[in-house]
Amino acid sequence: MYNHNSILEVQDYSVRRGDFKLDSISLSIKEREIFAVLGKSGAGKTVLLEAIAGFYPSSQGCVLINGTDVRKIPSQRRNIGFVYQDYGLFPNMTVRDNIAYGLKMRKCTRQDIETKTSRIMDLFSISHIASRLPGTISGGECQRTALARALILEPEILLLDEPFAALDYMTKKKMYKEVMKIHEQFTCTILFVTHDFHEAQLLADRVAIILDGQIKVIVDSKNLMQQNYNDEVEIFLGRKDI
Amino acid sequence: MNHKIKDSKIDIFSTISIIAALLVIFLMGSALLAIIVRGAPDFVHALKSEEVRFAIRLSSVTATASTILCMIFAIPASYALTRTAMPFKGPASILLELTLSMPFLLLGLSLLIIFSSDFGKGLRDIGFAVVFSPLGIVMAQLVINLPFCIRMIRTAFSEVDERLEHIAQLLGASKFKSFMTVTLPLCRRLLITTFILTWSRALGEFGATLMLVGITRMKTETLPGCIYLNISTGNNGMAMATAMIVLLISTAALTLSNLFGLKKVHYRWGENT
Repeated sequence: MYNHNSILEVQDYSVRRGDFKLDSISLSIKEREIFAVLGKSGAGKTVLLEAIAGFYPSSQGCVLINGTDVRKIPSQRRNIGFVYQDYGLFPNMTVRDNIAYGLKMRKCTRQDIETKTSRIMDLFSISHIASRLPGTISGGECQRTALARALILEPEILLLDEPFAALDYMTKKKMYKEVMKIHEQFTCTILFVTHDFHEAQLLADRVAIILDGQIKVIVDSKNLMQQNYNDEVEIFLGRKDI
Repeated sequence: MNHKIKDSKIDIFSTISIIAALLVIFLMGSALLAIIVRGAPDFVHALKSEEVRFAIRLSSVTATASTILCMIFAIPASYALTRTAMPFKGPASILLELTLSMPFLLLGLSLLIIFSSDFGKGLRDIGFAVVFSPLGIVMAQLVINLPFCIRMIRTAFSEVDERLEHIAQLLGASKFKSFMTVTLPLCRRLLITTFILTWSRALGEFGATLMLVGITRMKTETLPGCIYLNISTGNNGMAMATAMIVLLISTAALTLSNLFGLKKVHYRWGENT
């Protein structure tokens, strides 16, 4: 049953990737919510994000975006921004071309592309690296470029795969502020995956804990450490010994 | 326990590797040297010969045509084998690999059987004569090189992270656009290398051509055919001089291929400062 308050709904979704299985995932995310999926490495966090983006055509259950099965919406009309942990920048294009890519594909005018690209590069403070290739810039700059590329199209939903995992402490702190700014400025729903409890609590409204391809708990982020869970989750949260 | 690392002055493994490499170089170098030594006296004469010039022209034109055709077929076929949910991908791959290991003479014979049948005769009647015609040379080179070409391009496509294409599509590109703007540019060097190597292989193709079109002087005489005709008439000097020409063309092609292939791709995903 589709919940009309949610922008994104995953209903009893299962998909197999090699030996790994994402098993009967159900969750519902409200418009403008920041939602974190928390889990250790290999728990299925990235697969879940890719499933939501509609990358797996043969799967069970469904992912609904505004009530429509994501697999029935052509990729280019899904209005989803996706940023991978390793950024997924096109290595053959400069920072500027990466950011402008979506606008070019949507056949925007040259003037429009130029204006919007320059504006977003200013916003993310990456104008000085506009003509450099992704392989020659730092992790933080790659991160900003990938975010700018996703956000220039003003997506309804922004999917972030371990967005801060590869960043040093100071850059990470800066990027937290950046994400909150994005949320305010771009009015989009954000779903990000992380293995960092602190990060999930700090940024998200709600948190889902995923272990071995299954969602074990969905909880308000402020209550994450207040509630009691089953042994498996308690061990993951480090509150119980193995 | 006190472990001592042996500090040997002679690295035995490296030494053996170098000796093996030198042996190979000596073996191959001797063969090439024999061509140069025996061919050099007749080289200028061969270059001036109308027959050899005809063979150079025919080989270059057919090799270029068959290589272009190879790329036209191999690029979409490789995409289907690496990126789509094409049925029977496994058997299709095995089929292609099998033809790679078959003697070219046999592949030529198979083509001869196909194009000598009623189907082949029908094609000839509508102006598409393959047997004993230069068109057959292109066909032979195409059949020999397609599996090689597909294998090379499949490797190139497999090296491009599929997630980049997904991202391109989420950003608004169609599958074709994401292929043209992301996948192909990222494989550019390997595609150029494949083109050059395929062209060199086509230039040296002999077995399948011999079976399908035969070697008629100044009609279907390719460079390898010219060498064969000269050897069969006892004109070894001319044969070796022609081989020298093949060697020179191949050296140029391989140098080009190495130039493109060895250039470091400095923009790989995830490599950051």
